[in-house]
Amino acid sequence: MKTEVRKSIEGYSQIAHELEICRKYGIDYTAQKGRWKAAVERLHPKRLQLRVAKIIPETPTASTLRLVPVSGYLPPFQAGQYINLFAEINGVRTGRPYSISSPPNQIAYYDITVRRVPDGFVSSYLLDQVKVGDILESTGPAGQFYYNPLIHGKDLVFLAGGSGITPFMSMIREATDRMLDRKIHLIYGCRTPQDAIFHNELLSLAADYSNFSYDLVISEPDSSYEGLTGFIDGNLILSRIGSVEGKTFFICGPQEMYDFTIPELKKLGVPDRRIRREVFGLPKQVYNDPAWPQEVSPQAVFKVKLSSGREISARADEPLLVSLERAGITVENCCRSGECSLCRVKLLKGQVFHARTAKLRQSDHQAGYIHSCAAYPISDVEILL
Amino acid sequence: MVVIGAGNGGLTAACRLAQKGIKTLLLERHNIPGGCATSFIRGRFEFEVALHQLSGLGSKDKPGPLRYVLDQLGVTDRVEWVEMQNLYRLVVPGQLDITLPADREALLAALQARFPAEKDNITAFFDLVYKLCIEFFSTMRDPEPSPEKYPTYFKYALTNTQEILDEYFTDPLLKLSVAVYWGYTGVPPAKLPFMDLAILLFAYIELKPYHIKGGSQALSTAILEKFYEAGGEARFNCGASKILVENGCITGVVTEHGETINTKYVVSNASTLSVYTELIDPEHVPEEQLKILGGSTVGPSAVTLFIGLDCEPAEVGIYETTNFLGTTSDINRVFSSCKKVDVEDDYILLSCYNVSDPDFSPPGTCQVVIVDLKYGEPWLEIPPHQYYEKKYEVADKLLDKVEQHFPGFREHIEEIEVATPLTHARYLATPGGAIYGFDQFAKDSNMFISPRSPIKGLYFAGAWAGMGGFQPTLSSGVAAARQVIKAMQSEAEVGA
Repeated sequence: MKTEVRKSIEGYSQIAHELEICRKYGIDYTAQKGRWKAAVERLHPKRLQLRVAKIIPETPTASTLRLVPVSGYLPPFQAGQYINLFAEINGVRTGRPYSISSPPNQIAYYDITVRRVPDGFVSSYLLDQVKVGDILESTGPAGQFYYNPLIHGKDLVFLAGGSGITPFMSMIREATDRMLDRKIHLIYGCRTPQDAIFHNELLSLAADYSNFSYDLVISEPDSSYEGLTGFIDGNLILSRIGSVEGKTFFICGPQEMYDFTIPELKKLGVPDRRIRREVFGLPKQVYNDPAWPQEVSPQAVFKVKLSSGREISARADEPLLVSLERAGITVENCCRSGECSLCRVKLLKGQVFHARTAKLRQSDHQAGYIHSCAAYPISDVEILL
Repeated sequence: MVVIGAGNGGLTAACRLAQKGIKTLLLERHNIPGGCATSFIRGRFEFEVALHQLSGLGSKDKPGPLRYVLDQLGVTDRVEWVEMQNLYRLVVPGQLDITLPADREALLAALQARFPAEKDNITAFFDLVYKLCIEFFSTMRDPEPSPEKYPTYFKYALTNTQEILDEYFTDPLLKLSVAVYWGYTGVPPAKLPFMDLAILLFAYIELKPYHIKGGSQALSTAILEKFYEAGGEARFNCGASKILVENGCITGVVTEHGETINTKYVVSNASTLSVYTELIDPEHVPEEQLKILGGSTVGPSAVTLFIGLDCEPAEVGIYETTNFLGTTSDINRVFSSCKKVDVEDDYILLSCYNVSDPDFSPPGTCQVVIVDLKYGEPWLEIPPHQYYEKKYEVADKLLDKVEQHFPGFREHIEEIEVATPLTHARYLATPGGAIYGFDQFAKDSNMFISPRSPIKGLYFAGAWAGMGGFQPTLSSGVAAARQVIKAMQSEAEVGA
């Protein structure tokens, strides 16, 4: 409709006049430039530059790296969340998510506690090569494993396995530091007493705070060990906490722990909504998954053709993301457990096997998108980055 | 050709351009297409981010304008549509509880049963709604529209909704009952052009509200697939950091990774505000353009709760897909509370997709999304280290509200994610976390503001250069593509 005709609509000229006035006394948006971007950045920066301020030995195989921000500012996080730490090791740029073990009320630094993984590419680097003063790069805090005051109630049971203690450490320190109205019982499973990270601190917190209690459970004790032993099964849990009624269970540990403990909790009658689990990396031997196609040998090596035309090779037992990183190709990534979808790429040809922890959207299945951090090639593939 | 942003408008623009044989590069800063039209996963739930009721689609036999747009792109058959039977249920505790069917006769009957004293007023009001819409569609096809030919349109199109409600009805609850869709525009009746409300009602009644199997992400993915099939190239995790301009003409785009792409044409799905104040160097932005922007205000964002329940909807008493839960019949007061962080007076939208589509979440569960329209501005004042506390405090109050309507609701929550205006700002990269673009007051419509840019080769798609919502933004991309193609053709003719 032409403007001339529009003018005959009732009210047109008043509104046109209103617009004129609004513009005359209008907002100078150039003065507000970047305001929202900065506000978002303060909460969720894409990258952080962190300086190693201190290295604290915890156990013979684990140390805490105390990281301070180069910029002087650290974004807030929810106790239990992680940062994905990037590293360039022998020319390969990769990343590993590490739970923050310091509490969120400590805003000067993030502690991450690293335990040596046998043949661990990144853990060895962090424990053996990184020194005080080094600068590391990470993502901002991320992850879904945290206490949610809206639904998790005030009676919490933490089940930790090995280095899975780290997110709980942040939650426990926060609850005790801030005297939060929350009851926490921690059951911590380790192979040997020497493997227990933060053991002394946990003992003293349990002694000092009536709302925190702590049990260490050793699975491979020597004959002289006097504490709780065995696996964290239903009987043990029940004997330590009395009843499951009204309690929310948080679990963090290796895949085997989930496979064992979650059915035990369900047997005790704990509903799904009361069981929270961290995605704690990927299974070490993905080919042991019952769904793994038997005809594909874990040692098989497949060709990966990229949209650029380049071709690289990839092992069946390694996530595609790792093979890409080995070839010097960077793909955005964060959780490296198949959950966050930042490493999503399109599979044009061939087949992959997704680790059980991978969470794909319904339409991803239809259109052939994969989460490269949790997808293992089981044929030659072609992908669009 | 570069398209910045893979939201609804960017996707349809890119898809159309590629299908017309134009070499098109689509840049998206996020890792997934859709903008608002997306989903995310928590536990065993895939949460719908933005789509509540799709308007304008219609059925195969009775197609609406959006179906034509999607047909053109070839995506209509690539997704599965779910038709909803009702418009909404509206509850004001102790005062009103009414459900309006998506059918003119049945809707009138429902309203008249509840408000018998205003039986004739109700008939007259909907006669006006229909007449206005039908005249409006005719004006669009008429080369010489006039007040004589279309008296209803010329009289009422720009009248504010409140005036009409007051003219036709006396009971404030009845006014509320027919005007509750104001929330889909973010503009309260006192400022909402009646045309906008009339079109919403008409479109939803005649063409029915729809949802999509797999959520709006399925549609975004389907459009992107079509774009790829047409030879388009897309880059994700790759936003635009600069739009290059020389002598008033587009010359290129610089990506966030520092790569320069030469092009004479850009369709921006990024907001006009970001484009003119951030992406283009100030010396290339005409003063007049900044003045035009300055006359509009940034529209509302929302606090949104994404909730997975471990039970069927009926177990907590949810029987409708779309539920508006109010506190008072005074809508304009409700609107003024949108400018506060506090949610006390707010009325909320609660959508439970499983009611229309039982497959929307795993068996024995259901998904609920709660939306409370909120301006972003006051959230800027919250110190970062108090942010999470504030967010949960607000969400907690909203859950208390829900609990009043659906007792036992909270006990069934298995997953919950809270999005604030800052969350929306993070994922949409819009100022204020705005979800509908600028405030859509009468003065801000395309009737008064041309979406055209003074910079040659620059076009816009999406809410910031028109209206917000799925149907308008999806359509805007195709319209932008049409303008680009026209410009390219005329340039080719001049060249020849």
